[in-house]
Amino acid sequence: MKLKKGKFFNRGVHPKDMKYLSCDAPIERMALPQTVAICLQQHIGKPAECVVAIGDRVKTGQLIGKQSGPISANVYASVSGEVKAIAQYPNPRGGASDYVVIESDGTDETVALAPIDTSDQNAIVERIREAGIVGMGGAGFPTAVKLTPRTPVDTLIVNGAECEPYLTCDYRLMIERTEQVVQGVRLLAKALGVTNIVVGIEANKPKAIELFAAHADIQVVVLKKRYPMGSEKHLIYCCTGRKVKPGKLPADAGCVVQNIATAYAVYEAVVENKPLYERIVTVSGQAIRTPKNLQVRFGTNFRTLLDACGADDEKTAMLIAGGPMMGATILHADYHTRKTDSGLLALDAQSVGVSRPTACINCGKCAQACPMHLLPMRIDFFTLAGDYSEAQKQGGVMNCIECGSCAYVCPANRALLQSISLCKAKLRAMK
Amino acid sequence: MQKVSVSDSPHVRGKRTTRGIMLDVVIALLPAAVMGCVYFGWKALLVLTISILGSVATEVVWQLCRRQNIREIFRSMDLTSVVTGLLLGMTMSSNVPWYVPLLASVFAIGAVKMLFGGTGKNIVNPAITGRVFAFISFQAVMISGWAAPRIGALGGAVIDMQATPLTNLLDPTKGVGAMGVSNLDLLLGTGVMGCIGETCKIALLIGGVYLVVRKVIDWKWPVLYILVTGLCSVLFNGAQWNLFLPSILSGGLILGAVFMATDYVTSPSSTAGNVVYFIALGVLTALLRKYTKIEVVSFAILLMNLFVPLINTYIRPRVFGAPGIVERCKLRIAARKAAKAEKEGQAQ
Repeated sequence: MKLKKGKFFNRGVHPKDMKYLSCDAPIERMALPQTVAICLQQHIGKPAECVVAIGDRVKTGQLIGKQSGPISANVYASVSGEVKAIAQYPNPRGGASDYVVIESDGTDETVALAPIDTSDQNAIVERIREAGIVGMGGAGFPTAVKLTPRTPVDTLIVNGAECEPYLTCDYRLMIERTEQVVQGVRLLAKALGVTNIVVGIEANKPKAIELFAAHADIQVVVLKKRYPMGSEKHLIYCCTGRKVKPGKLPADAGCVVQNIATAYAVYEAVVENKPLYERIVTVSGQAIRTPKNLQVRFGTNFRTLLDACGADDEKTAMLIAGGPMMGATILHADYHTRKTDSGLLALDAQSVGVSRPTACINCGKCAQACPMHLLPMRIDFFTLAGDYSEAQKQGGVMNCIECGSCAYVCPANRALLQSISLCKAKLRAMK
Repeated sequence: MQKVSVSDSPHVRGKRTTRGIMLDVVIALLPAAVMGCVYFGWKALLVLTISILGSVATEVVWQLCRRQNIREIFRSMDLTSVVTGLLLGMTMSSNVPWYVPLLASVFAIGAVKMLFGGTGKNIVNPAITGRVFAFISFQAVMISGWAAPRIGALGGAVIDMQATPLTNLLDPTKGVGAMGVSNLDLLLGTGVMGCIGETCKIALLIGGVYLVVRKVIDWKWPVLYILVTGLCSVLFNGAQWNLFLPSILSGGLILGAVFMATDYVTSPSSTAGNVVYFIALGVLTALLRKYTKIEVVSFAILLMNLFVPLINTYIRPRVFGAPGIVERCKLRIAARKAAKAEKEGQAQ
């Protein structure tokens, strides 16, 4: 099908994309880790219920955490071996969860899921739920829930924007495993019961655009390079021209948005009967000697990932789980890979943008950058004054998508996003 | 392992800083300041120097009184007081005695900026208010103490110390050409009496273009302000189109529009708010000019500054995806119709 040029929202920011560091590194399967610590809360919603006990022998792909509610997801063992411990470990974004620690026996003995009838819509949705697939772009919302919207939808949009700087894991999937991703996309469309498939790809990935445009049933939309192009609401607008009203879901605009990595996971689950226990992680940054796109088993320690790519500890000024715009900084590398970890970055001192905030001069650059057309400086002002309801009234804080464009442009280096997060939490607590 | 820093996202930031922006403003003001010194001589340079030093010194002394470390004060200095001082000096005649720029700058920084909490907290523009303070306190030198530029028709000789091209323009008995000043002269500032920084319009416009290119200001707002003032001046005087260019090019309009009305702290934060603000500013300037017969750009901006909080409260941008006015009206009409139909249904 022909290429289509996407619409454009005249907001957002232009961070240096830095993708050249890792965009030419082919996906590399990482050596099997010695031990893994698999988190039972790798998604939005309730944590999975542990179904193994200490001392159990498990195989790769065996269920260890069972879905515990409608919004939850199964968790599978990522190596074969013995369950050594079930303990609490901290999460990169704060807080702590239960982790199942498995010591690998090195055999990687695998169990697969039972084959299913791929022509049956419900069977596909059921398989996606069973395989524990969640939104792998970072949010971690269970995919099966998204595939059964309450309002009728007519379009599946696949997010190939990858607008976060540094990250190239989706890009590598798109160009190396195009066929698998396309099949996954088709399966997602079938699960939704739609025929209209749109893949939005940013213009800085010409190779991926070319490869996807070769498929007749897929409409490729070439998106302008801009952060946050991958935001659901903006992606929908740029691909279809529809706007999601404030407080509504994409399904209300007749669209469902899925990520490239999610589509690949769906392909693996439905066609190869493989539950979700590994993903592609971009390990990059100036302090990494050989940036790579690694295929990593969940629960692998970040330290192992850094060592596999030659991290220069002396040069590292900041460690980030995820992308630099929306990811979380971590104090040390002793965390464990989860379903939503698309990147692990070690930045040097020059690229880290932390400095002391100065007074707001009301320059309005944050408001010009805000893709949601909010007034971040007023949210910041009222939040710091403790007047949270006024922050909602004057600044519209609850509509914030937390992309961080405002704080990125702020010449006074104000922690705008921090104020916004605080205000949102306070407002939620007040309800 | 080296210590790693932890921050709230985003972890990469743009390179722009407040100090960088203020430095851009100073650079943009330089052409006009230099031209002022060329036209009005060393006296102009003295006024500018006094006013800049006065501003910076006031800020430093104020911070010292707050018991801040002197090194820390200079490290965190964001150049806003330099901008204020420079602007303030540029809005004065080169003939003013030395204490006028000094007192005005102390007032501008001390009473208008620092008293309200420093950078970003002032409710009105310090430079403008400083000028208005001097204007009211030293009327004799501020209204009728103009010096003649050394270049141009006058050649440094003062004929009428009270008349600038603008006051001539506003005086029905004289008209703009009374002193042999053409529109080109107004643009270049040759033979034009006036404040140090306001006569050479071309230098101001070059500075404005620099600010637009550096994305410090949005070109729309000064252009809107200038055009509205020009149009209103024409309309209020019975559609005399030959007044359009002189009323734009004379007085402090361009200086005010490019450098003062666009001041971040004291202008609205939304696009719609800015439209209202700059149109009101233009109308007000033309109106006040017609009835007061003096240059009122600074008074108009000062007055409109006070309306900014009101504009900010009531005019806010529409959230992305929220229905527009037309759509909202349609929805409301549909809802009313539905309610009516339901009522009729119940009645039957």
